[in-house]
Amino acid sequence: MVTPSLLPILACVVPVLAGCLVLAVGARRRRFCEGVALLVGAFLAVVGAWAAWTAARGDVLVAWNNELRVDALSALMMLVVGVLGFLAIVYSIRYADHGHMMDGAGMGGPARRPSVLYALVLLFLGTMTWAVVTNNIVMLYVAVEATTLSSGLLVAFIWDRRALEAGYKYLILLTVGITFALLGCVVVYAAGAATGALAGSETLMISRIREVAPLIPRPTALIAVALLIAGFGTKAGLVPFHVWLPDAHAEAPAPVSVLLSGVMIKVALYALARTISIFFPTIPQLTLFAVALGCLTMVVGVVLAMTQDDLKRLLAYSSVSQMGYVLAGVALGTYLGCYGGLFHLMNHALFKALLFMGAGAIVFATGARRISEMGGLARRMPITAACFLVGALAIAGFPPFNGFMSKLTIYLALARAGLWWAVVVAVLTSLLTMVALIRPVFRIFWAAPSVDSEQLDRAHEVPVSLTAPMITLAALCLLLGVVPALVFPLLDRAATVLAVLAP
Amino acid sequence: MMHAALPESLIRSLSLTLVVTSVLVVETRRLRMAAAAYVLQALLIVGLLTAFASMNGALYWWAATALVTKALLIPWFLLRYIRRTGEVEVKPLVGFAPSVVVAALLMIVFFRLTHSQAGLLVPSALARDEMLRTNLAVASTVFVLGLWSLLTRRDAVKTVIGLCLLENGVHLGLVSFAPGLPETALFGVASEVVVTVFLLLYVIEGLVREFGSTDTYRLRELQW
Repeated sequence: MVTPSLLPILACVVPVLAGCLVLAVGARRRRFCEGVALLVGAFLAVVGAWAAWTAARGDVLVAWNNELRVDALSALMMLVVGVLGFLAIVYSIRYADHGHMMDGAGMGGPARRPSVLYALVLLFLGTMTWAVVTNNIVMLYVAVEATTLSSGLLVAFIWDRRALEAGYKYLILLTVGITFALLGCVVVYAAGAATGALAGSETLMISRIREVAPLIPRPTALIAVALLIAGFGTKAGLVPFHVWLPDAHAEAPAPVSVLLSGVMIKVALYALARTISIFFPTIPQLTLFAVALGCLTMVVGVVLAMTQDDLKRLLAYSSVSQMGYVLAGVALGTYLGCYGGLFHLMNHALFKALLFMGAGAIVFATGARRISEMGGLARRMPITAACFLVGALAIAGFPPFNGFMSKLTIYLALARAGLWWAVVVAVLTSLLTMVALIRPVFRIFWAAPSVDSEQLDRAHEVPVSLTAPMITLAALCLLLGVVPALVFPLLDRAATVLAVLAP
Repeated sequence: MMHAALPESLIRSLSLTLVVTSVLVVETRRLRMAAAAYVLQALLIVGLLTAFASMNGALYWWAATALVTKALLIPWFLLRYIRRTGEVEVKPLVGFAPSVVVAALLMIVFFRLTHSQAGLLVPSALARDEMLRTNLAVASTVFVLGLWSLLTRRDAVKTVIGLCLLENGVHLGLVSFAPGLPETALFGVASEVVVTVFLLLYVIEGLVREFGSTDTYRLRELQW
């Protein structure tokens, strides 16, 4: 049932307005900024949960002449944005006190105050929500580019050499990349309009263009898909467009890494899936290509992850690899594939956020990022160690954690589609992921440190506002692994939205 | 045709001048000059959009937005920045003569491509319209020249100017692809470029402070 609702508008506008408010008045009132950010984060989480609840019952919320449209797929994304946004804000309250955040060499920088951090995070969350609820194909591009702009200074927030370089690359590469998505979106729009079956503002509505897609000539559709893959694929970190990702995700402050790796790349993949799936029914061969791209992304990501000594870069490359799984699932176009892909999208958001928070906690406690410089931290930081281990096991696909369930679904979907080579690649990647993550976890937390470091000796468990989000995420990883049926109603509907091919 | 009122020769000469300004923007090593050429190009785009607006009222908005963003705001940011740092661009990867040759080749290829294959992109009567095909050819040439300068220039500021060039190409192309796009969409697309330029220059200022130059080849902290 299609219901008009104010909710989608509020979910986009409230964080943006709050961000502007924090920016305007927040310079000296730190507590006020924190309060606003927490409130808005909680609001987004509640709205996401509410949207998911409504969507699971089969309702579609629309607002503003069908410009904004929350079906089950959008609701799933709103839930991810809201919950992780809230947890990241909780996490950043104490994290913002950490030395490397606010006092680097030299001043400059986006006046590195907590208020600026919160304001940009709120803008970032608002634009991501907008990207997942818009039903307008050109605005989809505008919103996705807006997420780049609102996060650009967050990537460079620490304002040292590394962060600045990462921020520069991030802005340049993503802007150029996403321009291809603009061309793709416009070609889709123009081709839809040229069919003559749509009128007025309908020509921009993704939900309407889907219906006339069979009338779009094949070559035009192929050009559009190529442009969209290059564009949104860059933002989603697909190989070979992933070069910006490890830099940005590793150099950003931990709460921002959580949002980049946990949420933003998913939003881009959502945009990609939403747009290219329009053409799956008419050009089913596309699915094969997209699955192959997913497999390439998996393998390259995990191989590069294995070579890293920097913990955050390792996690970033593993994000690349896991996005390959999501793509391989979603790109199949079958119900099972979409179910597995979306389930993995949600799960990866949970455990990758958890892992980045864990890495942030280690930085917070010791200042170290190099795996080879760490050791024996489990005694000093037992909660972080336990949570990090849960995250690592979940991402490696160990039962009974959530990663096992979603990866299994993807294997089954690939096998049912007869793509046995893809199953082999996916299982192999999973084994490599295990090697890539379990080894460093052992090294960091349980092995004896190879270097004598005063920092390591003085390390102790991080404050509760850092551990609480980690414990929550670890619990969710376990819960969804043991009771995957919990999210079935929502994922079922969301997969139905995307699944355009018969199994 | 629908816009027989437009003098064809006017559009042709505007289009050609656009290409010339693009080459100028890419090839001159004086940043201030590049910015000036960019302003000239922006004004030409505004003129072209106004000419096209006789067939679609929404394009007046497009023209007005382009005037504010491309001809005023972006050059203002650029010049303000150039005044504070250096005037001369870091030596590019590809020298002047080969670069001009490549630019000319790209131009020929894209003119041919858009004239023979325009129907692929815009499967409608519009694609067969000579005026729009010329515009599409110019747009894609400007786009490719922007991409060329992004790939071959080492100077961070020049890279930003190349990015603007690329976006100009896209925006010009939208007129041919999608003349019916509503104002809100156009406004969103155009305003984001301004924000991008602003943020990039802000970050570049930090880079100059940390690395001591706008040479992007010195950005070697992050490898693999």
